[in-house]
Amino acid sequence: MNDSATLPLAVAPKRRLGGLEALFPTVALAAAGAILPLLGDSYLGVIATRACIYWVLVSGLNLVVGFAGQIAIGWVALLTLGAYVTSVLTAGTVMPELSPYLALLIAAAVGAVFGMVVGLPALRLRTFYFAMTTLGFATIVTQVALAWKSVTGGGVGVPGPVLPWPFSSPWGFYYFCLGLAVLCTWMTSNIAASRFGRSLVAIRDAEVAAEAVGISKPTLLVTVFLFSGAVAAVAGGLFASLQSYITPDAFTFDLSVLFFIAILIGGRGSILGPLLGTIILTALPEFAAPLVAWSTFLYAVLLLVIVLAVPGGIADMLDFKNRRPLERHREIRPRPELLAQILPPQAHPNLLKLENLSLSFGGVRAIDGVDLEIRMGEVHGLIGPNGSGKTTTLNVISGYYAPQQGQVRLNDKMLPSRAAAARAGRRIARTFQTPRLVGAASVLENVMIGAATAGRASFIESLLALPRHRRDEVQAYDAAMAALTAVGLDQLALVRADRLQHSELRFVEIARALVLRPCFLLLDEPAAGLSVDEIKRLGALIVTISRQGTGVLLVEHHADLIFDICDRVTVLNLGKVLASGTAAEIRGHREVINAYLGA
Amino acid sequence: MLVSIVSYGLALGAVYALIGITYNVMFTASRVFSFTAGTVGMLGGVFGALFIDRLGMPVAVGLLITLAAGAGLGIITEVLTVRPVLKSLDQHLYVLSTLAFALMLQQLTAIEWSTEPQPFPRLLPFGPGLFDQQFWLPMLACALTILGLEWLYRRTLVGRAFLAISEDNYAARVLGLPEQSLRIASYALAGVIGTLAGFTGGEMMLAYFGNGPLLNFYGFVPVALGGMGSNRGAVAGGLALGLFQQAANFLVGGIFASVAIFVVFIIVLLVRPEGFAGAAPARRV
Amino acid sequence: MPTSAPDPLLQISGLSTGYGKIGVLHGIDLTVGPGEMVALLGPNGAGKTTLLRAISGLLPRSGRVRFAGKDLSGASPRDMVRAGLVHVVEGHRVFTQLTVFDNLLLAGYGMPRREREIKVEEALAFFPEIAAKRNDRAVTLSGGQQQMLAVAQGLVRHPRLLMLDEPSAGLSPVLVDRVLAAAGRLRDGGTAVLLVEQLIEKALRIADRVYALVRGSIVLEAAGNEPNLPSRLEQAYFGHSLRPPSGPS
Repeated sequence: MNDSATLPLAVAPKRRLGGLEALFPTVALAAAGAILPLLGDSYLGVIATRACIYWVLVSGLNLVVGFAGQIAIGWVALLTLGAYVTSVLTAGTVMPELSPYLALLIAAAVGAVFGMVVGLPALRLRTFYFAMTTLGFATIVTQVALAWKSVTGGGVGVPGPVLPWPFSSPWGFYYFCLGLAVLCTWMTSNIAASRFGRSLVAIRDAEVAAEAVGISKPTLLVTVFLFSGAVAAVAGGLFASLQSYITPDAFTFDLSVLFFIAILIGGRGSILGPLLGTIILTALPEFAAPLVAWSTFLYAVLLLVIVLAVPGGIADMLDFKNRRPLERHREIRPRPELLAQILPPQAHPNLLKLENLSLSFGGVRAIDGVDLEIRMGEVHGLIGPNGSGKTTTLNVISGYYAPQQGQVRLNDKMLPSRAAAARAGRRIARTFQTPRLVGAASVLENVMIGAATAGRASFIESLLALPRHRRDEVQAYDAAMAALTAVGLDQLALVRADRLQHSELRFVEIARALVLRPCFLLLDEPAAGLSVDEIKRLGALIVTISRQGTGVLLVEHHADLIFDICDRVTVLNLGKVLASGTAAEIRGHREVINAYLGA
Repeated sequence: MLVSIVSYGLALGAVYALIGITYNVMFTASRVFSFTAGTVGMLGGVFGALFIDRLGMPVAVGLLITLAAGAGLGIITEVLTVRPVLKSLDQHLYVLSTLAFALMLQQLTAIEWSTEPQPFPRLLPFGPGLFDQQFWLPMLACALTILGLEWLYRRTLVGRAFLAISEDNYAARVLGLPEQSLRIASYALAGVIGTLAGFTGGEMMLAYFGNGPLLNFYGFVPVALGGMGSNRGAVAGGLALGLFQQAANFLVGGIFASVAIFVVFIIVLLVRPEGFAGAAPARRV
Repeated sequence: MPTSAPDPLLQISGLSTGYGKIGVLHGIDLTVGPGEMVALLGPNGAGKTTLLRAISGLLPRSGRVRFAGKDLSGASPRDMVRAGLVHVVEGHRVFTQLTVFDNLLLAGYGMPRREREIKVEEALAFFPEIAAKRNDRAVTLSGGQQQMLAVAQGLVRHPRLLMLDEPSAGLSPVLVDRVLAAAGRLRDGGTAVLLVEQLIEKALRIADRVYALVRGSIVLEAAGNEPNLPSRLEQAYFGHSLRPPSGPS
């Protein structure tokens, strides 16, 4: 065992993931925005103000659409809501006049609530259905605005809020909007580089794996809907101020389309991309008069082109880092000796026990009275012909399926069934038969997803980059790099995950599981598709993991790997336990062989 | 008054049902929904007004060309917006591509045809009456479509091939069924049904580009309620929706009727996401 | 040494394929002669089903596929079916919402109507048990009957080569024997059969030749009646033999 007090890193990425790179959109916007007035063109100023206002909304919607991947098309509903709330509160028609700032704050609160209301169906409905409901909301809000004449002035409309000095002049107002736009850029950049941003992306692209590391989709989605609704409503108030006077037909479906397409054109999972997308789409119709009538048509064409040709959008086109070719003959060289620093010694003996598990799918008994024990520090192999119930058993242990009979006990306490997201908290980690990773994110970000539930900072603390958030990031980064170095992939930390070879992806999954510092590690056919050398190294890694005290359940087809490293082996056939014992005992077991040969 | 509610309700309901069937036919062929279902409905009305009123064609000719245009649009939908994204890993791209295409068609209509609702010609040479053609034409179209689809699926080999592709795409491919051609044919058929809906409902709804999003939504409600792929559910849902809408219009006025429909829609979906006649979702892991 | 017919019906050379980034098959060479039954054996995860899918065009592949003298390396499943190579997939996937008769009619999609009806009747005659249920929906059939229906579907076009993927899976021993006997009758009638099977002993009884596929490569090729074959197969599967080296098993 090497004595390594620190982990030597061949690559030394910046401490806080991204660092300067994450701040770039904020700084660029602030700089560009600050010098714009010097050009003296007041028409440009109006366009720029409009772009800032739209960006305030889009920055929030970006978390919903670009990061969480929810197809919320009708977000103009919240713009409308915010505009009317602010205008009515400052108009003094329904109640005594309020200060515009207070009105904006109240609008934000109302927007947050409605954002959550509009977004909640996403937790239950399929994609297309949810998209439809958001469209329905947009229509409803406009119609209510039309009908509720006493408050909204109906088709006649209401005057928008007027901000007090120094923001009452056009340039003054511009600076106010720019300030909010820069603030939103900074806040959402912080979220993007936090466990919340990574978790959102995990929900979007690898939902099943996200559950396995403990990410709770409902909580996360509700949080972003609240935030997104709030900023959209504030944008609405600003919009009303810009327009000076609002009527329901100012809030067209075209606007919703613009917001949505700006994000898609910019590229999902990015801050800079949608920012550029918003600026482009706002400015485009202004520079050629005929374009105004055709603007929505052009947005739609752009959307189609992006979907068919460049699904990654502008962000993808600007991703020069990932165009650099990778070394062709890469070898995965794990360093099991480093595991001692990642997996702390277990305090007390752990036992994972399956008792009489049974589960049928539509009349077919997938598993039938399965008993199994995984002890700490032991590698337990689970083998059997196709359809014998191995993966089903794994899925029951990891909480995706509920057994119809029997239970799973961790140290004598029953584990709740159908609670996959709770397993991470019990330090039970797993990998999947086909690697479930976020292809668009870097290897390091993928592994940091394993630290999603270890973070202590709240959403607001991350939004404002408060000290606890920074501490979380450093810890997550360190844990992920340690795991990556241990599995031998630290050189590829910053590479987009979908550029890696299949075998490397398997090791990335293991690294992600290691970040959870598991007491029990469940591996689902990790050797599939690996070369002979890689399988040997995988075996050594697994053995060392178990020597640290972690109990490993290895579901595999590779007889060699099983008999080389397993302490105990259980054989399943047609859902029942056929035999169980040490590897040597199973190896010569007549019935096992017959089962495989189908006699 | 009651007669009016029932006539309008059933007639509009028939149009919604037909759009729901359009969604369903596209869905059974490809397992995805398309935003163009309501758009082709809108175009059925616009084309009808264009060919018969503006270009002066006889009604029957105008109908045939409109239906042919519907078939063409269905095919373009499949080739341009569905087939390319079915292959990709991201399952949700079809929502965006079909949305983009639907928007393009809508905007094109708004710019080239008109942004205001235009009148739709009288199709049959009878005068207005109690049981007027604007009411029974859509209902007749709906009945004919249902009967036609039943005949197609039960009596022709092509129809049974459609069902096979819809049930098990993989097994159909292995068996050597021309899966690609069948899918294109399904989409063409869906386009025909959609434009038929808009054409027969034209006098009621007028030739208006704004009918696109309207039909997209109100045509989807029967599908959501009746279950994906269930044509009978779509008809029941559509007629129920039409009646409910007219009754609500009469009782509480247009705006609140829309709100009421939407609220009911959301509640039903949240309680039973798969609709009344639909099947529960499959395993994820 | 096994001798194949001078002009093999199916000839695969250097075939490789996989799923996405996972390479499953590595340079497979395989032949099937006309009217020959070839068994493809191997442990789980070896790639047997993948190989059949690659041959019939369900999976993209590299390498060459020659069938009945024509190069069909880029062919789709539809092309293969028309050329006379039919693949009956694992898991008895039939169209449960359609009747037995409709299932068979669809297998003959594209054929002239009269010819189709005649061939469907012939296929039904091969499996009298399901012929009795011709107007029942396939969902009412038992697993074994659905498997027979799936094989019957394969017969409708009178293929020159029929590929059967684990037709015995999930069937009781009696039904297994029935299905394999039907496969044998097909071979006797001149149809070549490529049979993927888990049940080694039963497969060896009817096969003319045998291939063993382990971890994506062919490790054994032999005539079906060679001595010591079971032992040699075990060796191939597990890398060592557990049976006594001499004497019967």
